[in-house]
Amino acid sequence: MKKIPMRTLLFRVGAVLLLAVIAYSMTIIGRGHTVYMDSKRLEYNGQTYETPYKVEVYVNDEQVAKLYDKERGMSIWIGQKFSMTLEITQEKGGAEETQEVSLTLPRKMDGIILNLPALLAGLPEEAYLSEFVAAPSEEEAPSDEGITDEFGLSTTEELPAE
Amino acid sequence: MSMKPKKTGGSSFVELIQNNSVPIMFILICAVCIPVSGFSPGYLVNEIMTRLGRNAFLILCLIFPIMAGMGLNFAMTLGAMAAEIALIFTADWQVWGIPGIVLAMILSIPISVLLGVFCGQILNRAKGKEMITSYMIAFFVDGLYQLLVLFMMGPVIPILHSTLKLPRGYGIRNTVSLLHMRQSLDNLGAIHIGAVKIPVLTLVVIALFCLFIVWFRKTKLGQDMRAVGQNMDVARDAGIKVERTRIVAIVMSTVFAGLGMVIYLQNMGNISTYSSHKQIGMFCIAALLVGGASVDKASIRNVFLGVILFHTMFIVAPATGAKVTGDSMIGEYFRVFASYGVITIALVMYEMKKRMAKGKIGQQLQLAQREEESQ
Repeated sequence: MKKIPMRTLLFRVGAVLLLAVIAYSMTIIGRGHTVYMDSKRLEYNGQTYETPYKVEVYVNDEQVAKLYDKERGMSIWIGQKFSMTLEITQEKGGAEETQEVSLTLPRKMDGIILNLPALLAGLPEEAYLSEFVAAPSEEEAPSDEGITDEFGLSTTEELPAE
Repeated sequence: MSMKPKKTGGSSFVELIQNNSVPIMFILICAVCIPVSGFSPGYLVNEIMTRLGRNAFLILCLIFPIMAGMGLNFAMTLGAMAAEIALIFTADWQVWGIPGIVLAMILSIPISVLLGVFCGQILNRAKGKEMITSYMIAFFVDGLYQLLVLFMMGPVIPILHSTLKLPRGYGIRNTVSLLHMRQSLDNLGAIHIGAVKIPVLTLVVIALFCLFIVWFRKTKLGQDMRAVGQNMDVARDAGIKVERTRIVAIVMSTVFAGLGMVIYLQNMGNISTYSSHKQIGMFCIAALLVGGASVDKASIRNVFLGVILFHTMFIVAPATGAKVTGDSMIGEYFRVFASYGVITIALVMYEMKKRMAKGKIGQQLQLAQREEESQ
């Protein structure tokens, strides 16, 4: 068997390592999360944190939710460092105050619930952050049979009746 | 001293028509169908631009085996399957956007290399019958792919999200959503000119691949591939490792097909798990042939001309069919018929040309022998 020159071997190993490093970094940079913002009263350590009258949530300069009491908004986010702008109106007819919020999202959670009153009160992460677990659907998911490919060809598609 | 026979204007015109009969036929079809379809120029250009971005990379990967004399690589679907497996993992790990595309491309590479080496080794044992062999390999690997995706993903290969799995708890659903990856590459830096969206980044990626092909042709390996493509025995006598070069050509084609399939599927926004890859080889080959390529000769020009003509026909045929016959299915049948037809015509023409060339050589030898005898 022909011996592979050291330089070639190093280049090959280097290329594989480089690709592995890029792939791993992509799993961190590109990790997608669905962030749910709850405007919901919270009891923590015997204290009650009330909701503001209205909270407008902006993510990437785009309004994703306008939340009143007991309402939930949603946004998708790629990466770990999440930031949003909250425009808070404490009382009806009151003045708006703007607050920038930045936080690190847990990598292992797909869906994350943020409790806005707890977040605004500066409570620890365990108080304002929890994992969103979708309730199991009782109805069976609709069958996705018959989906055609780009060229409109599918083995499952039935020809139209005459 | 040998003298080239002088070509008359008439014979060179006939030769030009003969050599470009398929593109000319498709230009005529498009010229008839476009006005009948009633599509606006803006809509048509936008559709062609989308399809150019979606398909060009995939078709370009067919050039390497043609360079190495292995004909049309029907086994490019192996790369497509590798890309689909990579995308399923990416979707399961919830890696979205451009990072998701990059991750899927990187994950597809080792799978494509393995499948490419396997395919190349088989094709080395079936020299002269590469096309039919690669066609059958694609069917064989499709079976393995289905076994992997339908039965092993879940119990053996961990799949975290139940939304990807079939209701029975294992196997992947018919459709995998790539919603958060959809057109990430196309939309980044896209320019809108009127109704036409130009996916700049995708076109840049395609342009880089074209430059790579141009550069690759000039490298030692590229020259070796061309030498192998012209005559394997002569190449072997010249010290070129023929078998290895052929395997490299197939591996390159498979790897780039994988990358191309990721580009294709990010544009589509979903994977049709069990059928996305099935037709892709056929339609890419048909598009390349429509562009004027043949079994033994293909260029970048053929790829772009092929994508434009073939996909213009694809866009306008159903609408034309609906206008002319009142049934859009006629157009659907027509475009499928045209796709398979063009491959058949190209293969028949290639064989005819080969026989004619052999016949000419025979005649020349006979003439030379007679001349020798008369002297």
